[in-house]
Amino acid sequence: MSTEVTSIESDLAVVDVRGLRKSFGRREVLHGIDFSVPAGSVFGVIGPNGAGKTTTMRCLLDIIRPSGGSIRVLGRDPRTAGPALRRRIGYLPGELFLEGRVTGRRMLEHYAAISGPVRPGRIEELAERLDLDLGRHARKLSKGNKQKLGLIQAFMHEPELLVLDEPTSGLDPLVQQEFLAMVREAQAAGTTVFLSSHMLSEIQQAADEVAILRDGNIVTVSTVDALRESAVRTVRFTAAESPSDVHAALSMVPGIRDVSFQEISPAQPLGPGFAVEVSAKLEGAGVGSLVRALARLDLVELVIEEADLEESVLTLYEAVPVETTIINTPARRSIRKVRSHV
Amino acid sequence: MSSPMPLLSKSMTDSWRSTLGWAAGLCGAILLYLPLYPSIGGGTQMQQMINALPAEMTKALNYEQIATGPGYVQATVFGLYGYLLMTIATVAWGAAAVAGDEEAGQLELTLAHGVTRAQVVFERALGIALRILVLSILVFVLVMALNGPSQLQIDAGKLAGTMALFAGLALLSGTTALLVGALTGRKAYALGAGAGIAVLGYLFNALGKQSNSTEWLLNLSPYHWAYGNSPLLNGVEISAAWGLPAISACLVLAAVVALRNRDVGN
Repeated sequence: MSTEVTSIESDLAVVDVRGLRKSFGRREVLHGIDFSVPAGSVFGVIGPNGAGKTTTMRCLLDIIRPSGGSIRVLGRDPRTAGPALRRRIGYLPGELFLEGRVTGRRMLEHYAAISGPVRPGRIEELAERLDLDLGRHARKLSKGNKQKLGLIQAFMHEPELLVLDEPTSGLDPLVQQEFLAMVREAQAAGTTVFLSSHMLSEIQQAADEVAILRDGNIVTVSTVDALRESAVRTVRFTAAESPSDVHAALSMVPGIRDVSFQEISPAQPLGPGFAVEVSAKLEGAGVGSLVRALARLDLVELVIEEADLEESVLTLYEAVPVETTIINTPARRSIRKVRSHV
Repeated sequence: MSSPMPLLSKSMTDSWRSTLGWAAGLCGAILLYLPLYPSIGGGTQMQQMINALPAEMTKALNYEQIATGPGYVQATVFGLYGYLLMTIATVAWGAAAVAGDEEAGQLELTLAHGVTRAQVVFERALGIALRILVLSILVFVLVMALNGPSQLQIDAGKLAGTMALFAGLALLSGTTALLVGALTGRKAYALGAGAGIAVLGYLFNALGKQSNSTEWLLNLSPYHWAYGNSPLLNGVEISAAWGLPAISACLVLAAVVALRNRDVGN
């Protein structure tokens, strides 16, 4: 009965995963991952396609069974807890396939009949928020509207835990904002949210904590704030100084890199003497020392851009010891591709 | 909303169109064949034609007693066209119940809700059984309605018993498809297995009747278990009437075990 002994920390965790392994045939797709989702938090897992996000979520719902390790969801083992546990969870699959021959309303009524009780009027309320016509047949709905049906069935019984696999996939930006509002409201009402994405922007806005998953391993678990602290900022300024003075000033700032100078011709109306346009990257929490260093310069203009979390995640992907470059490349490419969409 | 068997009622409401379609097909076959009996089956002409056929062919087609009303209905409706239509319908339902739903990607979401896998299999199997029952009752009513006009001289009790065997054979094919679908998650395998049972049962019956050396094949033929004794003429053997549903029940139980012990959706 040693498995029943849980630490205080995992008592507070709504999801607690230890050493989770999963193999399909001889191919192991999860290599022993650990994470825990504190009660009432929004926990995001990001990673490229094929990293194991969906596999992890399916294990939480007992749709597939782990090859090793332990899982606790709301204090129970999903493998043995049965339907009572799943009634307390709202789940949105990563690839949502809905039957086409019934209206959205009928479909939701069916899912309501096999999950927790749904408060009267709740379905209509959610449909109105997401601007979805429940009278239409599912097969006639666009991908985004199908996704709305999927979201409603996950949210409608006001579960204690939401497990959402790529929830904003196919949603237009306005509906994405509405979705984020729904997540925040659910969290305010005490719901724990576990969501995945390959888009950092949505995790960034919704999640308190982020796990980065790559090739079946958790690269890091970090708070969004910590991620932001370690994030890379772009710095641009124009100073009426010589490049060597600017260089000397910047050399005192920790975390500054990729410095490039462009001298501006004195003919431009910047006053007497030299002027340079400088751009650089600032990694980590060095904003204070950057500002102190720049204070000694004759600044004409200064821009410090908000931290780009995607870039910092890219750094994390790259920081992992990589077995082969072939594995690393698709991961980077998928992140880049996402960025071009955002 | 608070249906005691939400998956069963879902399966019934989803399938009423297809059930109606199969019902129309069965009606068509019955209305086409039975009214012809007085003109072809009942006459001596028909018997002469049958006598002219090779004996092997007569046996293979179950035409031995085709010159009697019950023999005619047995050979045409229960033994051939009805059997064919019911088999196709139930194999399709059985394959759709787990494997088809899984391949369509919808089983995952159902199982993520407050249902057990056993419940999914049981309620859907029950849905198939109910639809078979509806279609069998329809066939019973139609045959009884044509009994007089077509001069079939069929005994209602024996017809009811034959209906049970007819339904039992359909259920066997359907639950075989269900089991293979639950084991593999592949609709194609499920369809193959369900149809295979029906086709092999028919073939083994036809071949087994040809000679003493092939007679053992009859023991392997569910078709022969049910119809070997010409139930519409001679009455139903209780063992066959109970045996087929009992085997189907075991197949459903095996399907529950199979589905409970594997990953869904991959």
